[in-house]
Amino acid sequence: MKSLILKDLYNISHNAKSMLFMLLVFVIVIIPMYSVEAYIITSGILCSMMVITTFSFDERSDWTKYAMVTPISRKDLVASKFVVLLIFSAFGVVSGLILGFAGGLITKKVVLDLTSIASLLVITVVGMMIAVIFGSISIPLMFKFGAEKARMLSLISFLLPVAVCFVVYQVLVMFGVSFTDSSVFVLLCSSPMIAAIWNFVMYKISYTIFSRKEVLH
Amino acid sequence: MEPILQVENLTKQYTDFKLDHVSFNIPKGTIMGLIGENGAGKSTTINAILDLIQKDDGTVTFWGQELSSNPRQLKENIGVVFDGINFHETLTPAKVGKISAAAYKQWDFDTFNNFMRKFQLPMNKEIKTFSKGMKMKLSIAVALSHYPKLLILDEATSGLDPIMRDDILDIFLEFVQDENHSILMSSHITTDLEKIADYITFIHQGEVLFSKPKDELIYHYGIIRCGTSVFDSIDKSEVLAYRKCDYQWEVLVAEKDTAQRKYKNTVIDNATIDDILLLYVKGEQSDEKFDFKGSV
Repeated sequence: MKSLILKDLYNISHNAKSMLFMLLVFVIVIIPMYSVEAYIITSGILCSMMVITTFSFDERSDWTKYAMVTPISRKDLVASKFVVLLIFSAFGVVSGLILGFAGGLITKKVVLDLTSIASLLVITVVGMMIAVIFGSISIPLMFKFGAEKARMLSLISFLLPVAVCFVVYQVLVMFGVSFTDSSVFVLLCSSPMIAAIWNFVMYKISYTIFSRKEVLH
Repeated sequence: MEPILQVENLTKQYTDFKLDHVSFNIPKGTIMGLIGENGAGKSTTINAILDLIQKDDGTVTFWGQELSSNPRQLKENIGVVFDGINFHETLTPAKVGKISAAAYKQWDFDTFNNFMRKFQLPMNKEIKTFSKGMKMKLSIAVALSHYPKLLILDEATSGLDPIMRDDILDIFLEFVQDENHSILMSSHITTDLEKIADYITFIHQGEVLFSKPKDELIYHYGIIRCGTSVFDSIDKSEVLAYRKCDYQWEVLVAEKDTAQRKYKNTVIDNATIDDILLLYVKGEQSDEKFDFKGSV
């Protein structure tokens, strides 16, 4: 497992400069137009998408075939992608928080007080959960269809949760459920649990796909 | 001799190809060459041996154990080199070493560094700057740095120039100096196998045509080159394969000396592995052929 994570981190570090550049560009674009909160969430999602790039690197070098002849199990290989997703998402929201906070101070979108900082920290955690949920849908797709084919399909991984949330929201509204501050707070607090369950399900699906797959590349 | 690898009736059915009851053994301290034309089933055999594809039938045992029974420990003792490097091209050998060290308990950095020095490979240059030969050397260094007892090489020398191939073959010969080590090497460069292999397994259209000691092939097999009248007189039960060339027949026989005594006025040459492969693949196999599926 450590070997796989190390490999993905080394591989992706080659793209670090361009990713940092994109994050800086987004500071200029998103913070003045929207908010620091939107920037933190965008950073998280953007970095979580790097997991797709790791599949692409693996495919280009026939890594998976090689990994399967080393003492690495199929379970480890699948699990490592979720760990890497967690690392990328954490990196995304933390750098989003730092850059967003700095950008927010410059553009006067945030004030330097305890309430603002606490609010941004909560958004950072929520952003992390959103990034992890969005990113994790792409993993089974990658195992099923391969990086190149799944790249297009991975759009689904970002649209599907939005669509599901929207439908659920509409249904709840239809049944007269109103979202008070306290219910939103409960939802935010339970987001790590939702993300954990969601990722476990995605892991199970990914492993089922990969365990049956013939590894020729 | 106790086999390191034992393959019995390995079968895999695809819609357009069947690996059909492939069997062979690799004794300790030996090199087994796996030959056959492109698409014959060499890589499918290796993939099935390594559990990369699900076999339909048959057993594969390493030191008497199936790979699935103890995969982590068995894979520690197996080094594999495919055709090309399987690490992303932006990595350096130093990073490859660290990744591999995290994968193998038996990984030895000193051994890896020694190979890097021996192969004159820079530790901190990206793989994409390496030539094909350098990439292959790096793959071999990785495969040898966790003290494997069995090396499996799938077309590992293809695409390399003769000098580079010769260097790499020397490394393989050095590896099997330890009598507990063995190599399974698939290649369509039969001259490489003539240099280093102890046994040859010939796969044709998914079936093992023979699995024999190399010396038996080199010293016993012969090719009768003759005209039609002599060809007609040859006892076909002694013929393994034959083909008509421009002006003559080429006939492959398993016992060169016997044939020489019998057909005194014919030219009988030693058969190279290339000749044998060509005659089996491009020629006709005798209908009355005797059982030549000898096994090691």
